[in-house]
Amino acid sequence: MRIILAAAAVVMLAALAFAAPWLQFVLTLAIAKGFAALGVAVLLRAGLISIGHAMFFAASAYGAAFLARAGINDLGLLLILSVLVSALIGAIAGSFLVRYRAIFFAMLNLAVSMVFYALCAKLYGVTGGTDGLPVPIPAVFGIVFAEPVFKSILFYLSLTLMVLVGLAVHRYLDSPLGHALSAVHSNEIRLEYLGIPVWAVLLIAYTISAALAGLGGSIAGFAIGRVVPDFAFWTASGHLVLIAVLGGIGGVPGAFIGALFLELLHSAAVTVTDAWNMFVGITLIVVIMFMPQGIYGLFERKEAQSS
Amino acid sequence: MSFRIGLSAVAIALGLVATPVAAQEKPSTLGLGIFTFTSGPAAAYGMPGKNAADLMLEEINAKGGIGGVPVSATYVDEAQGAQGVIAEYRRLAGEPKNQVMVAALSSANCLALAPIAEQLEVPTVGWNCDTHQLLLDGKSKYVFRPNGNTVPEFVAYAIYLLDRKPDVKTVAIINPDYAFGHDAATIFKAALKALKPDVEVVAELYPKLSSPNYQTEISRLATAHPDVVFSNLWGADLENFVRQATPRGLFTSSQVILALGETVLQRVPMPDGVIVGVLGDGWWMSPDAKENVETVKFAAAYKQRFGEYPVFPSIKMANTLIYVKAAYQAAMQKNGGKWPTRAEIADAMKSSNVATLTGTTQTRADNDGLVDQIVGVTMKSEGRSFPLISDMARYKGNSLMPQPGQDPIAWVSTLKPEFAKTLPKPGSYK
Repeated sequence: MRIILAAAAVVMLAALAFAAPWLQFVLTLAIAKGFAALGVAVLLRAGLISIGHAMFFAASAYGAAFLARAGINDLGLLLILSVLVSALIGAIAGSFLVRYRAIFFAMLNLAVSMVFYALCAKLYGVTGGTDGLPVPIPAVFGIVFAEPVFKSILFYLSLTLMVLVGLAVHRYLDSPLGHALSAVHSNEIRLEYLGIPVWAVLLIAYTISAALAGLGGSIAGFAIGRVVPDFAFWTASGHLVLIAVLGGIGGVPGAFIGALFLELLHSAAVTVTDAWNMFVGITLIVVIMFMPQGIYGLFERKEAQSS
Repeated sequence: MSFRIGLSAVAIALGLVATPVAAQEKPSTLGLGIFTFTSGPAAAYGMPGKNAADLMLEEINAKGGIGGVPVSATYVDEAQGAQGVIAEYRRLAGEPKNQVMVAALSSANCLALAPIAEQLEVPTVGWNCDTHQLLLDGKSKYVFRPNGNTVPEFVAYAIYLLDRKPDVKTVAIINPDYAFGHDAATIFKAALKALKPDVEVVAELYPKLSSPNYQTEISRLATAHPDVVFSNLWGADLENFVRQATPRGLFTSSQVILALGETVLQRVPMPDGVIVGVLGDGWWMSPDAKENVETVKFAAAYKQRFGEYPVFPSIKMANTLIYVKAAYQAAMQKNGGKWPTRAEIADAMKSSNVATLTGTTQTRADNDGLVDQIVGVTMKSEGRSFPLISDMARYKGNSLMPQPGQDPIAWVSTLKPEFAKTLPKPGSYK
């Protein structure tokens, strides 16, 4: 039942982008943010809130821009390398950040990401300051496509990656390493007594979550065609936490559901009113008040009732 | 069952895709997407633009619209960031009734939208977009900017300053900490270095956007004691800076240049003798503007509706809409009165010369605009509660612009003091 529902949702997304071409961009962006929110959700399982994951999102997009400038012009290669860049930064930052818990973890992530943001905005000669850097359209397996075709390829690639990476993360969360995360949340000391190194468990999770955010960032970079420091601003990080909580951290689809919901809501709200921020805010309050498990929680509850 | 639903979904999808993009029939309304800041701190600059657009479109529609077709605008808030702006742009461009986009205010958004405009082939007119990078490659077919850009805007201040204060030795700069502020500083410094190499820059401060407090910066400026303080702060930042700098005597100890000073003349008390300008020719009280019946009418209507006289962002927007209207008229004249396609409109914008509320805007081969630059100093005026601009110079648009394809900063560095002598002097424009 759940698999059919997920498959139907993916098919519907594919058809929706086909039906309304302008939506394709919104959906690509939603999936990109979904990846980043999934990264945040992985850490949330261990009870760690990161208000700094937009840094990895931006690092990867900047990485793609710099690599493209250095002459690398292949979509696959750029995606892989830029994700590796963000994973590397994640591993380095994670090595000292995962020693902290609760508010300290959240604040340190925020601090590190804002240092990154400031560097992007201030190093005018390197990063183009607030005007940012262009992310040119790369070749796909050596073929250079026109922009609309490339954007379609990017969308369907993101959709495919959403399924594949989603399944991989699902397997990871279901593995001993993944279950250890919940254990960190419930009783960290007992985990240490079981002989499981908490530091390593969290560092792996942190690196994976940085890589996920990076994957989202480079997809967003290619979709937008430009990377600006705002990608790394703390409100963007807050946005990712919001998506993760809104969608629900009970399962992998939650992050993507949250991202799609928020992006579509935003798109709808700006067409209606200048006070779109308020519109989005009120909806969030409603969701958080009445659906504490997130939107994905609704599906899970139904599933539990029917079985 | 689900297969059949899938089939019908595909059928609907195909139907939507098949709608024509360019209609040659006259539509019932002409849609414009207008991009500006309607929320957040930048709305201080964006809302005067939106107000002017409202008023101008009303005037255009009262006269029968464009080619007999009424114009309606969809406003897009740029405060949502590049991602949201691009999403909205794509959505609006997908509707055939939206033929032209007036986008955008923020340079970062203009730079992000430009490649999309070229790809979707939608005529896109930057109503503000100051950055000199926008049309640098000279390959734009659909992106236009009937405004000046950062180069003539800030070179004009250097020339005016050296005419007015030829013995200037030291300069301090306080600009907002983003690309616009840094670009302005680079250009202003390059122009000074070329025209008067012994000028020394004693302080460069870049407070972050939306700072409420400038006391530290003002202290730094006071201790540096420069002959001249240059600033392109704007919006609430500029108001705050002027309010805090006045009691501390910055305006008496140094000659202050406020590049966007005209926007706050009606809002904060400003002493006499501050060099201000309008980043273009868009001052509603300039001699040219006062002679133009349309401009006088526009300013009066604006004051009546919004309680303030138009500031230069308003005029920039109004002029941009006049530019769009002129392009339609030219395109329809050329194709025998038929409703023009997007390509024909873009074609009509190319190399056009349009009379605006405050002067003319000439579109070069690289789609960049040539607009005169007005610079002057503040002076108290009889019968008005706010100062006006006097002792003005009006520099010809093409005299301060590099040739198409030339590196703008390199061009600024080649300026010679002899060149500056050939330009109009302060007080010559009256």
